[in-house]
Amino acid sequence: MNKFFAKRLSIVFFIFVPIIFLWHPNWLGFLGVQPYWPLFWLLPWSMINGSINGLILGLFLGLILDSLTLNSNFTQIPGLILCGILFGRIKLNSNTLVGHFRYGLICSFGSFLCGTLYFLQILFKNYSDRSFLLFIPSIQNILSEVFLTGFFAPLICSQLIRIFKPSARK
Amino acid sequence: MFDIRRISTSRWWHKKKNWTFLGIFLFLVLVRISKGSLYKDFYYFFSKPFWPGQFQKEVILKSKDQESLIRLNLLKNDNKRLREILSLHNSFDNDNISAAVISRKTGSWWRQLILNKGSKDGVKIGNSVIGPGGLLGRVNDTSLFTSSVTLLTSPESKVGVWVDRIQINGLLIGLGDDYPSLILYSKDADIKVGDFVSSSPASTLFPPNIPIGIVQSVDEPFKAKKTAKISLLAKPHLIDWVQILK
Repeated sequence: MNKFFAKRLSIVFFIFVPIIFLWHPNWLGFLGVQPYWPLFWLLPWSMINGSINGLILGLFLGLILDSLTLNSNFTQIPGLILCGILFGRIKLNSNTLVGHFRYGLICSFGSFLCGTLYFLQILFKNYSDRSFLLFIPSIQNILSEVFLTGFFAPLICSQLIRIFKPSARK
Repeated sequence: MFDIRRISTSRWWHKKKNWTFLGIFLFLVLVRISKGSLYKDFYYFFSKPFWPGQFQKEVILKSKDQESLIRLNLLKNDNKRLREILSLHNSFDNDNISAAVISRKTGSWWRQLILNKGSKDGVKIGNSVIGPGGLLGRVNDTSLFTSSVTLLTSPESKVGVWVDRIQINGLLIGLGDDYPSLILYSKDADIKVGDFVSSSPASTLFPPNIPIGIVQSVDEPFKAKKTAKISLLAKPHLIDWVQILK
């Protein structure tokens, strides 16, 4: 019963990811940039359910988020799939403090990966006429996103893991 | 003793009439010295109720407004006729749709607004969206109740613009930050900080002459191109209500 309830809860939180992605609370931002919200859900999910589940839900998240954004030429799917696979290979750490820092670092890395893959798509698409103009704002976007994602991850991911996996609540 | 007192009562300063004359004389001397300013000030307060007052001012302002309106309509008609002759995109009419911003993404890569008016209200893909200040972007997607707007700052946005001072067309491209870049395909274009940029009169995507922004900085020419950063007049991260131009 508990397991069933925990699975249901993770799906409920999954629905909240696109909502908060659209909501875009400015007061949480840094240089106008937001943390990369889908990773906060994907990390606990993949860590608990493994790489294959991470890949599948990464794909689903990517599909939903791509449908919400208007940039039809670029996609977030590759970054989220890669993050889903990578996060699934990480084991839960029993040491709470180390675990918290780990979430921050892993999410920062994931955000860097997704940001870079997205930037490379933009770069290749516009290679001819304006690639040199894109570098500075793009690097600024990636770094702010990495910082914010790493900053919020320990707080959010640890709570989500406690909710998703009842055995981790001890 | 008695005699002396009698003589002293007959002095001129003992007569009230003399003092009155002296007072009037001194007053007139003062008026003369001040070149009548006292009179004028007195006249100012005295005549105040009879001035050509607020009423006349209102009448004149009203007729001025009417004159401007008629002139504007004549110019609009003229502009429309000339644009039809040249087969150019028409200026926007008055049938705009007001919409509230229900979601905004104004940072990072995704720069878009979601508005609370959709295809049900007659919004179509390609409609221009303006806010207080000027152009914001273009409707890129509609659902029944909402429409999504690609902002000028989005990396997907490319807009033809017009720099009025030097009478030259350029391309405004979003870079994923708050300051889109203006590319002029002429190395010798004399663009300066503070130049005003509006939508191009020759644009097929947007209505002409909508204010867009002001040149904030000019970069060094590179490969026969000149680029400049544009500060947008309409701030998408602050605006809550917009107009969709049909």
